[in-house]
Amino acid sequence: MMQPLLKVQALSKSFNLRAGLFSRKRFEVLKNISFCLNQGETLAIIGETGSGKSTLAKLLSGADSADSGQILLDGTIIEDKGIRDQQCRHIRMIFQDSEASLNPGLTIGDMLDDCLQYNSDLDKETRANKISATLHKVGLLNDHQHYYPHMFSGGQLQRVALARALILDPKVVVLDEALSSLDPSVRAQTVNLLLKLQQDTGLSYILITHHLSLVRHISDHLVVLDHGEIVESGKTETIFGQPQSKVTQKLLSC
Amino acid sequence: MQLLDIRNLTIELRTSDTVIRAVDRVSLSLKEGEVHALVGESGSGKSLIAKAIVGVLNKRWHITADRMHWRGVDLMRLSSEQRRKIVGQDIAMIYQDPSRCLDPTAKIFDQIAETLPEIQSKGFFLKRNRQRKDRVKALIHKVGIKDHEKVLTSYPHELSEGVCQKVMIAMAIARTPKLLIADEPTTALESTTRAQVFRLLKSLNQLKNMSILMISHELEEIVNWSHGMHVLYCGQMVEAGPTGKIFKQPRHPYTQALLKSLPDYEQGLAHKEPFYALKGTIPTLQHLPIGCRLGPRCPQAQKACVVTPPLTKQHGHSYACHFPLIKAMK
Repeated sequence: MMQPLLKVQALSKSFNLRAGLFSRKRFEVLKNISFCLNQGETLAIIGETGSGKSTLAKLLSGADSADSGQILLDGTIIEDKGIRDQQCRHIRMIFQDSEASLNPGLTIGDMLDDCLQYNSDLDKETRANKISATLHKVGLLNDHQHYYPHMFSGGQLQRVALARALILDPKVVVLDEALSSLDPSVRAQTVNLLLKLQQDTGLSYILITHHLSLVRHISDHLVVLDHGEIVESGKTETIFGQPQSKVTQKLLSC
Repeated sequence: MQLLDIRNLTIELRTSDTVIRAVDRVSLSLKEGEVHALVGESGSGKSLIAKAIVGVLNKRWHITADRMHWRGVDLMRLSSEQRRKIVGQDIAMIYQDPSRCLDPTAKIFDQIAETLPEIQSKGFFLKRNRQRKDRVKALIHKVGIKDHEKVLTSYPHELSEGVCQKVMIAMAIARTPKLLIADEPTTALESTTRAQVFRLLKSLNQLKNMSILMISHELEEIVNWSHGMHVLYCGQMVEAGPTGKIFKQPRHPYTQALLKSLPDYEQGLAHKEPFYALKGTIPTLQHLPIGCRLGPRCPQAQKACVVTPPLTKQHGHSYACHFPLIKAMK
């Protein structure tokens, strides 16, 4: 059997909440999460608000560290009990609001160049080539690297965010509600772009969204979270056809 | 009876050198007890139309209309006091961004209590206070908030977006308006709460005979229970008519593209197959193309499209296109 690209084992995370003047209460956001993701496949994570979806996305992309558990990429451990080996190379994340997540004071070219400078030791010329190649990949022009974020429309900004994620040649891209704020026709374009990239380069996606018909269309596997626990996981078609748990039935029925 | 009847509504923004026409001659009519949907992408002027009806656009926008009748009274000709009286009595609006539209300095209870109509009973003031409290509590239960103690005594920033949205809805239905304008009421909500909100609006429509003008870009949610649909593109009305008819046979290329981008609608689409999408993006308001505004993106565009197409009407289904789609979709 083929080794899965991304393997998450018994991941847990809890926050400390203020309960009284001096007392603290532990609040478990994620309890014992494990799943696998193969190359070129899409895993969708659904659940109600407050079920820990976004926390999971942050843990995977390295924006936050877990309390216990491991994340394995291609068989090597990249995070063990909250200690991260490689920073943000192989798992990249796209945020919901691309307008707010891009630095308004930097041109697109500078922003992409920063990514490369901090994470690789390429020389200036290779970096410039890489930037124009990546922009071309997501359907933007070479001239766009001299633009500032405010000069783009919402759909184009999403492409810029995608370019920033792809420039380090990641293996997994985490999409945290990245498609839900877009207009229908722009969303269709972005989905087409994502699917094309997946076909061409074998990229894997982790899709976190409320949009169920989109989940059904583009995801291979599905994980249903409820209060930090996985209540159901498996192939998307099987779960949509026969949801087993009550939570899933409730989510899918509307 | 025609509840709302708008003919050729135009909304312009006058800048120092040019006039930007954000909404271009839109007509809309609504009967009592009907649910109409106004769909289109962001920047197509949906919210502007809603705000023009309620009359909350600021002075910079220049509004003209051949007529804007509310139950036979032309709203455009009234003084602002008279207009405010009518609108305040009969029309309510749910705004787009709930946590930003609520007053951040007042508690939820005070904000809802403010929208309640005057209580008629002649009781002592303590009794009236209690009555008001009960009314607010009942309202908040109606929109599906169970934990009323906590919600009523908190400020908007302490509540989640979903709860704020529900509070907004409670404020809108407090006076049982004749027309409810809902401007993207469910964008901030997850699927279960979204279904709850739609159920609530649906029951209000059926039980109280409340008309609803629904603004949204999520087509699949409104398909099942809206009577009419108006599709806007860049401030132009491209297609209008009964929802079922539009879904069965869209006449305008834009409507077709909009419908085809829904995974539910295209049953024949295989897993992971690309969607049908128009090329390019929506033009900005400063650089609108002349004639049909879809022109540069339209797959069927021809030379005649530089002239704005007139609205053609067939059996209550109207569309603005020189070369309408005739063949039924697969």
